[in-house]
Amino acid sequence: MSAAIRVVAVKKHFGGISVAEDINLEMKTGEILGLIGPNGAGKTTLFNLICGIHAPDDGEIYLREQPLSRLPVYRRARLGIARTWQHVRLFPTLSVFDNLLTGPREYPGKDSPARAAAILERIGLAAARDKMPGELPFGQQKLVGLARTLMNDGEVLLLDEPMAGVEGQVYETIKQVVRDEAAAGRAVCVVEHNVSFIRDLCTRAVFMFNGRIEQSGTVEELLASEKLAALYFGGKK
Amino acid sequence: MEYVYSVLILIGINIIMASSFNLIIGFGGLISIAHPIFFALAGYCSAIVAMKSGVPIPLAIVLGTLFSTALSVALSLPSLRVSGDYLLIASIGFQLGFVEVIKNIEFAGAASGLTGIPPLFTGPLRSPAFVVTILALAALVVWLVHRMTHGNYGRAIQAMRDDEECFSSLGRNAMAIKCAIFAVGSGLAGLAGALYAHYSQFLSPEQFGIIQSGLILTMVVVGGMGTTAGPVVGALLLTALPQAITFVNLPTSIMAPLQGMIYTGLVLIFLYVKPSGLMGKRARE
Repeated sequence: MSAAIRVVAVKKHFGGISVAEDINLEMKTGEILGLIGPNGAGKTTLFNLICGIHAPDDGEIYLREQPLSRLPVYRRARLGIARTWQHVRLFPTLSVFDNLLTGPREYPGKDSPARAAAILERIGLAAARDKMPGELPFGQQKLVGLARTLMNDGEVLLLDEPMAGVEGQVYETIKQVVRDEAAAGRAVCVVEHNVSFIRDLCTRAVFMFNGRIEQSGTVEELLASEKLAALYFGGKK
Repeated sequence: MEYVYSVLILIGINIIMASSFNLIIGFGGLISIAHPIFFALAGYCSAIVAMKSGVPIPLAIVLGTLFSTALSVALSLPSLRVSGDYLLIASIGFQLGFVEVIKNIEFAGAASGLTGIPPLFTGPLRSPAFVVTILALAALVVWLVHRMTHGNYGRAIQAMRDDEECFSSLGRNAMAIKCAIFAVGSGLAGLAGALYAHYSQFLSPEQFGIIQSGLILTMVVVGGMGTTAGPVVGALLLTALPQAITFVNLPTSIMAPLQGMIYTGLVLIFLYVKPSGLMGKRARE
């Protein structure tokens, strides 16, 4: 597996607070990488650095061999970096279908309506295409957010807490979509607190704390780590 | 009859102003109140070009409109980096400053105003020709705004207004869309200004102040922000209503404040009772 994203010695501070301290990380094609850590560890900030919401103070992020730091957010998305948000952030005045139609890299894109319809079919929301996001239960909103991201059809998929607040059928659907996308050759990175989701899906995981990568390895290695338990759950060090 | 023509012309000018302002504030979500300044820029530019260089008036109107559009782009590049309250404050500063600048430019007539602007039409059919031209252009502007705010581009504008950061993360260039909205909206205000200059044949800095911004905003809010028909209805209502009051033979000392109270009262009533305006729908959120 080759590295789709390389984060090299990235640092970021907000005032006196360090939110990313010398981060080095690779996201490989076909891999599902879990990003775990307590709230405030810097996981979402790392996503924001990769997709360009924040500029790093130091270091560089590469998509393949292309350095990203000087590119604005929209240019990075057009290169194939797609993401979801912790709080979904669907466009409230657009229908579900129109939300998806805002997602392709090349806008509007000739085949976008057909692709959007196919994606809605795939996630079981074909009947909701003309509904407004506010009319859907939270879990389905999460699915629509994921579906809009899939419209990008890029190489990198960053999923910020996709399982937060979802259960049942939606949970299973998201799990299947994540599996399928990685199998299709995308580099998938998931920020998630749901340990069973991480254990079931991720091939590798990284544990962050206070803006640093404290440990990385297989999921089993991380879950067995006393250091992780101490930092995450407040156990003995 | 001349009175009816003048009211129809004012309605046409106000439809252009309200529709173009609605494009910026209603569809684009860009809170800038400096709209009358682009009306003024094109009006002065067209008038001065026609007066000093003898350029045919239709061409002067086009030049005035382009001048207004070009200046709005130059202004938008730094201004649109800020949004919300900051953009509002920047636009108030720009408006107040620009009015003061005009007051001190001698060749633009300074504070006493620019007189002797050549009319677009002359002769016995002058007024009907103005009515037909301005109402036709108003209809064209409404159609243009409708086209721009519907379909693929309209969807992008709506998404940008809803959540700019998320919109950018999908690969869309929010800044380019904001600049385009601002330029087209300001250019259309310029068209109204240039037409007005060659109709009224007089321009003064007092015509482009904060009061005018409030008046156009009232038309948009009452009619329905973010709708195509709303500004048309708002412009019709708020141009015709004050005129209707003049038929009640009240003294001027009562008439002027009464008109002001109507504008203010309507805004307050609509914001309280029907914030989506006469033509607006309730959001299906």
